[in-house]
Amino acid sequence: MSSESAKSVLEPVAWLLQMITGLLMIVFVTLHFYVTHMVSHEALHYQEVIARLNMPEFKVMYTVLLLIVSFHAFNGLRAIALDTNAGVRNRNAINTLTMLMFLVAFFYGLYLLISL
Amino acid sequence: MGVSGWFKLGGRSIFSWAFTFQRLTGIVLLIYLCMHLTYLTTLLDKTGATYESMIALTVSKQFLIFDVLLVLCGVFHGINGFRIILHEFGIAYEYRKPLLAVALVLALAVWLYASYVMYYLTGG
Amino acid sequence: MAEFKIRRFDGKKSFWQTFEVPAKKGMTVLEGLYYIKENLDSSLAFRASCRMGICGSCAMKINGKPRLACETQILFLGDKITVEPLDNFRVIKDLITDFEGFFAKHKAVKPYLIREDVKYEEPKELLQTPEELNEYYVFTLCIKCGACYSVCPAAATLDGYLGPAAMAAAYRFCADSRDKGNEERYEIASSSNGVWRCHLAMECSEVCPKNVEPAKAVQMLRRKTAFSILKSILRW
Repeated sequence: MSSESAKSVLEPVAWLLQMITGLLMIVFVTLHFYVTHMVSHEALHYQEVIARLNMPEFKVMYTVLLLIVSFHAFNGLRAIALDTNAGVRNRNAINTLTMLMFLVAFFYGLYLLISL
Repeated sequence: MGVSGWFKLGGRSIFSWAFTFQRLTGIVLLIYLCMHLTYLTTLLDKTGATYESMIALTVSKQFLIFDVLLVLCGVFHGINGFRIILHEFGIAYEYRKPLLAVALVLALAVWLYASYVMYYLTGG
Repeated sequence: MAEFKIRRFDGKKSFWQTFEVPAKKGMTVLEGLYYIKENLDSSLAFRASCRMGICGSCAMKINGKPRLACETQILFLGDKITVEPLDNFRVIKDLITDFEGFFAKHKAVKPYLIREDVKYEEPKELLQTPEELNEYYVFTLCIKCGACYSVCPAAATLDGYLGPAAMAAAYRFCADSRDKGNEERYEIASSSNGVWRCHLAMECSEVCPKNVEPAKAVQMLRRKTAFSILKSILRW
């Protein structure tokens, strides 16, 4: 039908990344949940959280987790919106908006991570 | 049919329901991610008082039900998502019925186990 | 006797009507509809042609699920039969739905062999091994009845979505060793209305009366499309 954006790079890349981030999240979210909710709720005390966030290995892990979670979440929102008539009509706006939301979420989280 | 087609009752296979719940849980988790980032803003109070007061509120018996439901969303979305990725790569397509059954049983088991541990940790 | 509850549409309003049909062993829903048209209400409208599951005209929602009326026996379903037009299609009259868009999408994916060396003056034999045939054979069985499209959740929310049948047809030719038109079809499949809108509800494969497995075809088409685009970007 519509041949517009026939060579859209975003769609195949987003499709592939959605799967890759999904697979990574199975590992990272499980790990995150294990640390905070499975061993002891002591892990949620302020001093504990700050100490953990200042360990380099946790800092890296949380940065990666933040990046893949925000992408997966807002790319998922993009896919849901584009499944509707109104979504496809405003395709460019939806693509821009959701990717912007992804960046805002990521950089806000990164700001929190760095300032602690 | 419009969006109501995603929630239509009757005449649908369990695969189609898995799709609907994948969408619903995805939206719930997206909202949770935004709430989670907002919540963590309280960490900026370096005395820890704001954060600790929030923890006292949310890590409690009254809040456990929300945690348990959230974990259900997460576990279902993750395991069902893994099943879909397998099929997207053409793996086990012919075994989609048993695979869906395995995925659902696995999701239920992981959810029950996680819920039990959280219940135990909140002093249930 | 079997009770036929039919959702009718007269161009303005939709209403339910019930008919009593003397059902015999082996009698199909289509025969029941013909009985009603010939003896009870001649204004009942439905599409049918071959009566043997080949033409794809008589797909309709029978007891909540899209089926071919000619291949569904009444007594197999019990003595209460509910018949409705297919979902996701505009109803024209009673059980007749508008298939213009469905066929246009089918046409859009170029469902024919594309080759440069086709000359009708000098016809050439195109050889193929049984293995090469097996690559796509199952997808040739599609009869364009629209059952898959009527249950697809993506088609329910997006009118322009190519849909399972059209994409299965596209893959059927992309997987054909004699065809050289892959790139053209990938371009069509990669549009916003194409492969990216499938999220594997797999309802299409569940209802297909010919067991074509359109959901599988869409996955394979998407994989080929995605990697062809990624490859062309990397080269460039």
